[in-house]
Amino acid sequence: MVARDKPALKACRNLEEDLVLYYYGELSESARGNCETHLKNCEACRASLAEMRSLLPMTAAHDEPAQAFWDDYSREMRRKLDAVTEREPWWQRFVGLVAPLPVPALATGAVLLLALALTFGKGLWQPSAPPPDDESFMEVLPIAEQLDFFSDMELLDNLDMLETLGGQGNGTV
Amino acid sequence: MATIPTAQIGDEELVASAQKGDRRAFEELVERHQQKAYHIAFDFSRDREDAKDLSQEAFLKAFTHISRFDGRSGFYTWFYRILVNVCLDYRRRAKRALAEEYNETVERQVEPSHVPANPVAPDQQAIAGQLSRRVGAALETLPAKQRMAFILKNHQGLSIREIAETMETAEGTVKVHLHRAVTALRQSLAEFV
Repeated sequence: MVARDKPALKACRNLEEDLVLYYYGELSESARGNCETHLKNCEACRASLAEMRSLLPMTAAHDEPAQAFWDDYSREMRRKLDAVTEREPWWQRFVGLVAPLPVPALATGAVLLLALALTFGKGLWQPSAPPPDDESFMEVLPIAEQLDFFSDMELLDNLDMLETLGGQGNGTV
Repeated sequence: MATIPTAQIGDEELVASAQKGDRRAFEELVERHQQKAYHIAFDFSRDREDAKDLSQEAFLKAFTHISRFDGRSGFYTWFYRILVNVCLDYRRRAKRALAEEYNETVERQVEPSHVPANPVAPDQQAIAGQLSRRVGAALETLPAKQRMAFILKNHQGLSIREIAETMETAEGTVKVHLHRAVTALRQSLAEFV
């Protein structure tokens, strides 16, 4: 590698981008063929390609940390993950658990839960003790429900009375 | 039943376990990709501590958003998209910080132009040191997306298609970024060829 003063030959303008892609092996087969044909006849493009081959590999930074660095990296990463997990609210963890499930599975689960709740949860949904103001009404309610019975009883009494009256009438006729 | 060694488990299975809350599975994904992630971040920042922080920040983002990974692309592509965005964001933050610092004390500002234009070459090691600094400075002057496209191609060897997927842009755009980056670098580093 030497410092150089003279300017490089300029590649053909219409081939500049293709030369970069050629260097990186990203040209299609036909474009590569055309490029190679051109390179055979063009000194400037050959020089440009040679310059890329010499320069571009040097631009990569080579940093290879020692194993101790990676051990430290893993420890630090675990600490950061712990901190994130602790900060995460419960609902986010729940969402995290159910989010990967497909929508139909989630919908089926929701319907099943609803069905179970309706089947077995009826008792739980009975209204609690009525407020004290309604106590007197609740005392009257059973009587009201038996009004039919009482009215039947009254009818029987009337029948007995008619029979008695009829019996008396028969006896006198 | 014997458990399968984690080395034999694919990324997809590890992701599925991580999505169910298996922290160990996610840590295994980190172990697998941390070196590549670090090297991309290092190529971008040229600083060991920054590279560590950037790559770890990307892993943390992947961890908190793992439930959103739908498996349409590989974990690798999905994660590197996060990493690229973290690096590009770092570049924006660094620029902002530099501008603020400049406003406070102009003398303390570190500019690529501070690197001597004509490197002295007492020996090969000195030239290598100069080159490394000049490359860093030259990369620093590139727009963030050109720089990222160049790093992913030149340093990481990703294909144009993979870069386009990672940077969420068109392949044609990547080719333009790459061409412009290479042209700019050749101009900046011509004296070393």
